[in-house]
Amino acid sequence: MDSSVHLDNVVMEFGDFTAIQKTDLKIESGEFFSFLGPSGCGKTTILNMISGFLDPTHGDVKIGGQGMRGVPANKRPTSMIFQNLALFPLMTVAENIEFGLEVRGVSKGERKKASDRLLELVALEGSGTKKVSELSGGQKQRIAIARALAVEPQVLLLDEPLSALDLKLRQHMRIELKEIQRKTGITFIYITHDQGEALTMSDRVAVMSAGKIQQVADPITLYRDPKTAFVASFVGENNGIKGCVTQLNNGIADLDCGVLGHLQGRVQSGVNVGDNATLFIRPEHFRLAAENNMLTIPSAIEEVNFEGSYLTLNANTQAQTSLSIQLGSHQYTDSLVKGAPVSLSYRAEDAVVIGGADHV
Amino acid sequence: MFSQLKARFGSSLAVGILGMIAIWLLGMVILPQLLMVDYSFRPNLFPSEIGGPKDVYSLGNYETLFSNLIHLKIFLKTIWSSVLVTALTLLVSYPIAFYLAKVATPRQAAFCLLLLVIPFWINEILRTFAWYIILAYKGPLNAMLLGLGFIDRPIRFLSGDGGVLIGMVYAYILFMIFPIYNAIESLDSNQVKAARNLGAGWIRTHWRVIIPHAKPGIATGCIMTFMLAAGSYAVPSLLGSPGSRWFTQIIYNWFFEGGDWNQGAAYAFLLLIICIGFIALVMRIFKVGLGDIAK
Repeated sequence: MDSSVHLDNVVMEFGDFTAIQKTDLKIESGEFFSFLGPSGCGKTTILNMISGFLDPTHGDVKIGGQGMRGVPANKRPTSMIFQNLALFPLMTVAENIEFGLEVRGVSKGERKKASDRLLELVALEGSGTKKVSELSGGQKQRIAIARALAVEPQVLLLDEPLSALDLKLRQHMRIELKEIQRKTGITFIYITHDQGEALTMSDRVAVMSAGKIQQVADPITLYRDPKTAFVASFVGENNGIKGCVTQLNNGIADLDCGVLGHLQGRVQSGVNVGDNATLFIRPEHFRLAAENNMLTIPSAIEEVNFEGSYLTLNANTQAQTSLSIQLGSHQYTDSLVKGAPVSLSYRAEDAVVIGGADHV
Repeated sequence: MFSQLKARFGSSLAVGILGMIAIWLLGMVILPQLLMVDYSFRPNLFPSEIGGPKDVYSLGNYETLFSNLIHLKIFLKTIWSSVLVTALTLLVSYPIAFYLAKVATPRQAAFCLLLLVIPFWINEILRTFAWYIILAYKGPLNAMLLGLGFIDRPIRFLSGDGGVLIGMVYAYILFMIFPIYNAIESLDSNQVKAARNLGAGWIRTHWRVIIPHAKPGIATGCIMTFMLAAGSYAVPSLLGSPGSRWFTQIIYNWFFEGGDWNQGAAYAFLLLIICIGFIALVMRIFKVGLGDIAK
């Protein structure tokens, strides 16, 4: 069954405010797709448009190739898991799960069968007669998933459903969600501001900022090849160094970074000699000793934090910018103290040059 | 409570405050009511016979109602009409309460609440009398309906129970709207979205999600409206016809026209007791606990 979701040149405006700028995006059938962005970036608006609580001002949402304009929320083949779960507190667990089937006129016996099967899927067999208030946070979470799956949606929408859980449970639920998605083969559309969630679970991620999709890519590409300065700094940690492009050579740009001298990094199309650009180097790509073909930035250690499996360092450069560095904790030595000079080194292939110096 | 008051105001003032409350409660509420209970069990006698051999406690005054078929009929009709008033008020109030709580923007809600409250700054008699004018045979409502061609001759709104029902729905609407509004407002809007998302239409969403949540508010509103309607005097006397007398009018007559306070007190207590019993029964049927209402 085609359960793709196509945001077909969708624009959403509220009065003068454009919540979603023109967006054209196709989410494939059976994909685990995430919208990642800070709060207020419009990701919930996108979810509301897909689920039918909002109709886009322009364009249309197509689910399985079918235009959804004017189709009310209760007639769409989507189901949603709410941030606060929104389980019905006055119904039992089974009644919650069966609600969508009851609406569809499914007989009592069939409903019971379905809820038993779903309770088994979420590993809560035999809790059908419990009250919602008797469940723990993680159990409620699973009931919300079961309730959403009961109506056999083509698309499951998840609105930051894990944000209320504690860290351990959250990590556990990530694995479970992925597992459920694999078992059911339903298209999952996941909204989150937590990049860890987006990166670990998703097939593809759309990074959003201010109503605009910045980049759509699989997690590894997103991390390695951010297309915009926003993505580079929002997804994972990053150090941005501003400069002016002086040379382009085989996909490597040379930047004049003032007192830091000439630094290099991989460059994508759209950057020309003479442009202002930002060089992004991830903290884990720095080395303390230069090897062959490495570029160095002389700095002084400002702060050392030991975090167990890794170390984080802050270092001041001559340009008075602070860089953060992450090292494996086996690299810890007594010489790493405040004020100690270090030659921070990196490979040009590990750094990314993005046009425009105004974002960082 | 005493220790709190003492800590705040000192013991002499605390005693004073509590003493005044006690006097007020005892003198203005409890004693008069007890006196009425006492009255209701005694026969109505000439002053000279009071304290004499005829002055004994009996259930005679209470039995009167059940032997007087006209009074009994009016009594039952009062209960039934109050049920009707309650149902109609609920029907009118629920959509308004839902609109105020979940649909309207804060500005719209404030504006609507103002519109609802302002008429209640005017006293009940005048408000009811306004309806008397509106519903009159040659009144503006008939004129409008005639003018629009919906009817070809005026309707006597005030001859049956219609006028009384309309007047009471209007008089008690706030007592219904506010508890329901409060109850619905406390409902998480995501519950409504979740129901919609799972495929429920509007009717089912209300029936399965919003109304169950609002049940305590609905119960509170219904009880208040029912008690007020059953105990109403002004509306039936102004808008009622001779054929639609209310039981309160009979009680009034016993007190002030018949001069039989004993009989009047017994009737008043019967109305109170049966209304409470009726409410308890209805609460049981709809599985509403006292605790729900206190929320």
